[in-house]
Amino acid sequence: MKKIFQKNGNINLLLQGNEAIARGALEGDVSFCSGYPGNPSSEIIETLADAASHLPIYTEWSINEKVAVEAAAAASFAGLRSIVCMKQCGLNVASDFLVNLTLSGTKGGMVLVTCDDPSGISSTNEEDARVFADLADTPLLEPSTPQEALEMTKWAFDLSEKINNIVLLRSVSHLSHTRSVVRIGELPENEKKARFDTRNPFHTFPVIAKHNIRHEKLKTAETIFESSSWNPYQGPEEPELLIMACGSAWCYVLEAVEIAGLTGRIGILKLGTTWPLPKKIVRETLRKCDRILFAEEVDPFIETAIKAYAADLGEEAGGKTFMGKASGHIPSTGELNPSIFLNLFEILFGLDLINKTYREKVGEHLDGVIFPREFGFCPGCPHRGSYYAIKQALAWDNRDGFISGDIGCYTMGIWPTGFNQVKSVHAMGSGLGIASGYGKLAQFGFDQPVVTVCGDSTFYHAGLPGLINAKFNKSDILLLVLDNSATAMTGFQPHPGTGSTATGEDTEPVDLEALLRSLNIGVDVADPYETEASAQKIYALLQKKGPRVLIMKRKCALVQGKQGGFPYQMSVNHDVCLGESCGCGRYCTRIFRCPGLIWDKENMKATIDQVVCVGCGMCADICPRGAIEKTGKRN
Amino acid sequence: MDKKNPEGQTGLVEHVFKKGLCVTCGACVDLCPYMHYHDGRVTVMDKCQAEDGRCFKWCPRAVPPGMNTADAEQMAAKGIGPFRKIVAARACDEKKRESSQNGGMATALLTLAMETGMIQGAILTDRGDDDAPSGKMVLSKEMISAFSGSRYSASGALSALNRAVGKGVEKIGVVGLPCQMEALERRHQYYIKKQMTDQVTLKIGLFCTWALDYRKLAAYLEQEGLTGTVIKCDIPPPPAEIFRVYTTGGTFDFPLPDIRQMIQKGCSVCTDMTSLYADISLGAYEGREGWNTLIIRTETGEKLVDLAVSKGRIEIEAFPEKNMSDLDHAAQNKKNRGADASLKMTEGEVGS
Repeated sequence: MKKIFQKNGNINLLLQGNEAIARGALEGDVSFCSGYPGNPSSEIIETLADAASHLPIYTEWSINEKVAVEAAAAASFAGLRSIVCMKQCGLNVASDFLVNLTLSGTKGGMVLVTCDDPSGISSTNEEDARVFADLADTPLLEPSTPQEALEMTKWAFDLSEKINNIVLLRSVSHLSHTRSVVRIGELPENEKKARFDTRNPFHTFPVIAKHNIRHEKLKTAETIFESSSWNPYQGPEEPELLIMACGSAWCYVLEAVEIAGLTGRIGILKLGTTWPLPKKIVRETLRKCDRILFAEEVDPFIETAIKAYAADLGEEAGGKTFMGKASGHIPSTGELNPSIFLNLFEILFGLDLINKTYREKVGEHLDGVIFPREFGFCPGCPHRGSYYAIKQALAWDNRDGFISGDIGCYTMGIWPTGFNQVKSVHAMGSGLGIASGYGKLAQFGFDQPVVTVCGDSTFYHAGLPGLINAKFNKSDILLLVLDNSATAMTGFQPHPGTGSTATGEDTEPVDLEALLRSLNIGVDVADPYETEASAQKIYALLQKKGPRVLIMKRKCALVQGKQGGFPYQMSVNHDVCLGESCGCGRYCTRIFRCPGLIWDKENMKATIDQVVCVGCGMCADICPRGAIEKTGKRN
Repeated sequence: MDKKNPEGQTGLVEHVFKKGLCVTCGACVDLCPYMHYHDGRVTVMDKCQAEDGRCFKWCPRAVPPGMNTADAEQMAAKGIGPFRKIVAARACDEKKRESSQNGGMATALLTLAMETGMIQGAILTDRGDDDAPSGKMVLSKEMISAFSGSRYSASGALSALNRAVGKGVEKIGVVGLPCQMEALERRHQYYIKKQMTDQVTLKIGLFCTWALDYRKLAAYLEQEGLTGTVIKCDIPPPPAEIFRVYTTGGTFDFPLPDIRQMIQKGCSVCTDMTSLYADISLGAYEGREGWNTLIIRTETGEKLVDLAVSKGRIEIEAFPEKNMSDLDHAAQNKKNRGADASLKMTEGEVGS
């Protein structure tokens, strides 16, 4: 058993932020854990799924975030503590239930963890999920370090039970994925029995009364926040600058203040409970200084709230200068870092600390060492074959067709690795919904064919309604389910089609083909590695009307690799390879772009990078000269 | 080289595809991985930045001012153009006549050419059955007759020539439309310039007033309830004004004005009805079923026809003066129409 699951506390462990949250949940006596994978949140449920084989808890990957919150709410209604985890985009999906749940209230302590992705490093957006705390009248906690993440998570369950409502905890990429030494506490050993008390139903009626109760709960939370230890002030009693910081931004501020040698001149209020504002603490701290800088990731959330509160304080607050995202002192988009604050301190304090930002310095050192790389599918990735086939079919079709894309590894179809075929990407399942709309535009003269692609996991998450909409409304939609039997992009979590659950238990997989056939939608299956045959099938389907589905079935290359690898040893016959003159300049490396295909500068021919190539054999079929050869793998 | 009009795929896209002038001859297809022929259309798979490409140089429609490499005498020719002999002819083998368009003539000549070693293989257009017609390389004379019969639609057949080159067949005969004969001429000029040996040793050109867009035709025929697999199409002599399709399910007639809507736009600027660049041009003999009109244009063509007559493969008769004059008139009319359309298109561009 891993140390992270041990009963005894009082030892130090090196934990990732997400692992610390998971340990915090276990120390908080959680029984029911659910979520939907998505970077940077996935490791929380993965850890808790692992824990479920050692401890008396239940963990699941749910079909989507809304269902995850609903399932966890059931546990809460039955008196158990529950945690539900997702990324910021996922909270949008869950929000419809969330805003109603906070009216009905909860029973067993319930915590919702949202891991936001500033800069959208692995997301379609960089939205700030904290707005849901305001929208749903939910208390919000923002830890800054793994240690705090553990303790806040544990504490959140108590808070939730005190106010009988769900509590939000917000992490960001840099907290979720950082590792540090964390002192763990003891795991409780309480007997638990789940039971729904039928005398106390959970619903939102009467709405106004419940809305009032919700506001009261928030006031209670505020009082608890004010007496909590999550909002410490550090610095001089009369600082020259007061920084109000939360989450990872607090770490950046601390680092920058220390580097700049401004410890004695700057005061920092670390806000750990950011909604509702702990007003008493804010009020007292505001008295210390008239120049206030806000430090927080993504949106000016505490900034706006504190400025509004200062307006309420009126004359008492006096003339304050607020600096932050609204004033332009802090960038209003993108992830923050210490150098942003260092640069600002130079201006505000007239210092000459550094004349180059950290990033520029790093860039100088790495110049020529690290070569530019583009987003790309792995060697042997079936998506490369699928997009190659779609591209071919759309070109043959010659009506300026395009792909309505979706969320997954295959989102990269917007880039050269997917031959730039994907022309729209938004949210989970949206590719289908959008395509169902295009499929009804013929009466307005729309004559371009549209292919929509959707991964298997995404299809179960939110794709099915779009497809049924197309069926219901007789829309001309061609769906290609890129079925690689994995939730590949987020790290191979199981989904309804894979045949096992989060905890590795066997379960009957959903038969996608049978599901589609039950809708009486034409279904065919193709192998993405057979690009020519796939292109022929796609072309033929493009000529038809109504809802059509082609399942592009081939396991994720990484899964294939784990399950015994690929059959071929690839090589390039340099006598046959046309080299520079092929296809007006290196067809295989310039157009097909598999990272396993590289350029042999000495011979001026294409060649195989034997370290990177997995031996899928696809390139042998696309080489116009037949110069790429596949032979049986050497053993 | 004019950077704005590179003689490569960019130029081809600019001057031909964007203007909708592609006649689907197939000359640009399968020289590289970027140009495909599929389901009756030539399409661009990937963009190519080369400024000097055979795809452009061989295209019968990529003719920016002053760049046509085809023979000036032919271009200046009036009506049916220069020729050595013009005769009425038909194949002696009745079986071959049955399945073919008119007199089984192409089959008879190709078979003989293959027997004598004049050609080792022939580029022919298959009927496509349920799919679009396409070019095929035929290496045995027994297979030739399987390719007879016209579908009046473009076939990209020259792609088969591009695929065949370099595979060991040194002498190739091609049967094609006037645009394809022009592409072969441009290709030939390119070979001379590069001091390479042209593998095409026999060109049999067909008379053509226009060709249909296959996809439009197929969609129309399906919509109009055509059943069975198409065997051949025919336009009976005026005043019938019908387009007749023979299929495995029977014979179907469609109004010719409907069909004319599906003529390839690129055919509207065509000035060649009788395949000026062929060794032998082959067409119907108006008013005499089962017979062909044969325009013998080159020494190669003359030798083959003489041999075919002496071996009893074909029979010939004198071509009446009246027919000759009608044919010349029709060819000149097409030439005038094409030149006018071309001029209008250029003026349109200047105007815009």
